[in-house]
Amino acid sequence: MAVVNLQNVTYKYPLTDAPVLKNINLQVNEGEFVALIGPNGAGKSTLCYTVSGFVPHFFKGEMTGTVEVAGNESSKSNLHEWVLNVGLAFQNPFNQISGAKYTVFEELAFGLENIGIPRDEMIQRVNDAMKLTGISDLADRSPYSLSGGQQQRVALTSILVMQPKVLVLDEPTSQMDPIGTREVFGAIRTMAEKGMTVILAEHKVEWIANFADRVVALYEGEIISDGDPSDVLTSDLLAEKGFGISRYTSVARKAKEMGLWKKDKLPITLEEAVEGFS
Amino acid sequence: MHERLSFFVKRDSVLHRLNPLTKLTLVFGLVLIAFFSPNYWTPQLLFLCAILPLSFLGGIQQSFLRAFIRLILPASGFLFLMQAFFHPVGEKVVFQLWFLDVTSESLSFAFRNATRIAVMVSSFTLFLLTTHPSELMSDLTRRGLPGQFSYVIISTLQILPQMQAKAQTIIAAQRARGLDTESTFFKRAGSLFPLVGPLVFGSLVEVEERAIAIEARGFTSTHVKTSLHDIPDTGADKFIRWIVIGLVLIALTSRLWLS
Amino acid sequence: MSIISENAGYFIIAVVIVAALLVWAYLTKRMQKDFSTMTWVLIPVAIAINIAIGQIVVTLKLPVYLDSIGTVLVAVICGPWAGALTGTLSNVIWGLTIDPNAFPWFPVAFFIGLVSGLMANAGWFKSWWKVAVTGFAVALTAAVVSTPIAVYLYGGITASGSSFITAYLLQTGQGVVQAVMSTGFLVEPVDKITTAMLAFAIIQGLSQRFVARFPRPENAQTEGGTSQTQLIIALVVIVLLVLFAMFLLGNILGG
Repeated sequence: MAVVNLQNVTYKYPLTDAPVLKNINLQVNEGEFVALIGPNGAGKSTLCYTVSGFVPHFFKGEMTGTVEVAGNESSKSNLHEWVLNVGLAFQNPFNQISGAKYTVFEELAFGLENIGIPRDEMIQRVNDAMKLTGISDLADRSPYSLSGGQQQRVALTSILVMQPKVLVLDEPTSQMDPIGTREVFGAIRTMAEKGMTVILAEHKVEWIANFADRVVALYEGEIISDGDPSDVLTSDLLAEKGFGISRYTSVARKAKEMGLWKKDKLPITLEEAVEGFS
Repeated sequence: MHERLSFFVKRDSVLHRLNPLTKLTLVFGLVLIAFFSPNYWTPQLLFLCAILPLSFLGGIQQSFLRAFIRLILPASGFLFLMQAFFHPVGEKVVFQLWFLDVTSESLSFAFRNATRIAVMVSSFTLFLLTTHPSELMSDLTRRGLPGQFSYVIISTLQILPQMQAKAQTIIAAQRARGLDTESTFFKRAGSLFPLVGPLVFGSLVEVEERAIAIEARGFTSTHVKTSLHDIPDTGADKFIRWIVIGLVLIALTSRLWLS
Repeated sequence: MSIISENAGYFIIAVVIVAALLVWAYLTKRMQKDFSTMTWVLIPVAIAINIAIGQIVVTLKLPVYLDSIGTVLVAVICGPWAGALTGTLSNVIWGLTIDPNAFPWFPVAFFIGLVSGLMANAGWFKSWWKVAVTGFAVALTAAVVSTPIAVYLYGGITASGSSFITAYLLQTGQGVVQAVMSTGFLVEPVDKITTAMLAFAIIQGLSQRFVARFPRPENAQTEGGTSQTQLIIALVVIVLLVLFAMFLLGNILGG
């Protein structure tokens, strides 16, 4: 069952001439973990905003085509209704702190207060979500006193408590140090394993290869590839365009040209490369 | 790890347990009584019989007295002097400094004003010492204040220290580059711009993403908002509020009666 | 005090007019237009800017306040009501965190936001000289609105440096109200014109894309002409305004 359905979506930001998304067709099934890759400026963020409703409701601009999530159509919905179905977290963890609350627990409950969830359910949801992302010990801290990785996990959790049907994550680890990255990816993985539908825009190809069900490659506003990670991430097309290729894949491709790589499929991760070369 | 925000001091006292609206009513009541009362000695009475005891009741007498001695007393004292010297009313000159006359009328006027202002500031200090901003805002929101106002106030209270820290960093960095904050007027005026620029633009860029973040948490939702914290409003609270209103009305009527 | 009862009538009328204005703006949906999510997120930042710059100015010992730059910024790109709210809350929070003597002055901040927003709506924030005029209008408003507060609560002498001027004028036999208002007319223009121009400079420095997110980006759209000629025009206008202010002052002093 396609929970996200984009049909022929073309979008142009206000005050600009060129459309950032061109004729996007994308279906995501319930429980799928889709990774979105592409060079900077390809339109990944815009696509994330489109699925999460901020395009066009927040950014205005011109959009053609239809965007459907969980049976609702974007053009017929309000942003405040849409966000109940689609959660969005993005790069900068500091900017996702609402500023309205003094402790992490309250910060997590902020969204639930806004949508009128009863107190007991609120507390239950927050506790459950904190366990899921491993931040229960941060409950009484001020959100501003946390590290980047902790803040990003708080941001993720504050979206999780809203219990959206789809989770859209726009490069959540770009501004993290290695520890933070590991923490955030761990949380995402937990959610994906629980059956959450996830759309993750990312650059870290090796991690995607291990955990994503599907990879969608975006280039200059168009989807140029959509399929199994092991296919998309080793494709010649991506190598040609110059993105989405891990160094192991590049090395193995060179090795294949020289006749040193015997396997059919190129590796993406270190493990696959080691296995293939031995 | 509890950061100290503006004035609030965490204690378990009678005052702390009072409903925020009650404390607010108390504070405004004290201020209005001080300003309305025709009696000359009301402000001091209020201070000795209400404010000071309340500070003990709230367990924050140390912080209060420190604030009083360090901030309120000097400020009121300065105001008193300014008004005593410069207020034009009066004929009975009591004291002369240079070309400035201090008359007994201006003295009493200055005294009355300074004490009233001191009561006002002290009452608010009491309030701030015993009421956590998020508690106040939750209560007011429950009573009908739109959630956006609560958001703005608390957000500001949290951004302020960050902005001030940023300002200190920029000032220190500029000093290291030879910026003079002590020299001539023009140098000082000129130094304003390299200070203002980074401070302002740095904080403004965050606005867009933060707006998206709070939208994603239902900020514009039309649902009736609920609250995580349950702030009690007891019968005692209501009783106190009515008493205060009554006292304010008495002060007001006695003022109108006598004029 | 007899001054109070005389002017109490004026005060009540003023409050009623403002209340009516607020109700009208709310019912005709003009007020709501000012307030989008971006506005609500901008206001705390603007208040913090007000307070931070206001304090820097004190550290630098400059003879201005410059504590309303954020207010004017919000008023221009969001609207007069958002500006009025920003000013009011600025005062309240300054009172709560720095100096409670700031509390009673919130009507002044309210009107600073309101007037700069109204003038921006009328197109008077689109070039340097127009900004200077707006600053001047705001200054006059601030002087007028702060007078009754200074007179009633402080008897004309507040704890600020400008009170020395008031004191001097009082010595020359002026009435309290006149002395306070004259002081305002002298002190406010420099501060408010500078404030308006700094707010304008800030808006110029923001990307068009960013300003377009707010409810009233059209208020900030600059008119043509090179900035040099515009700055020269602005300087000329400021000189004229200063002369005008002194003329007003002379009339008040004489009358």
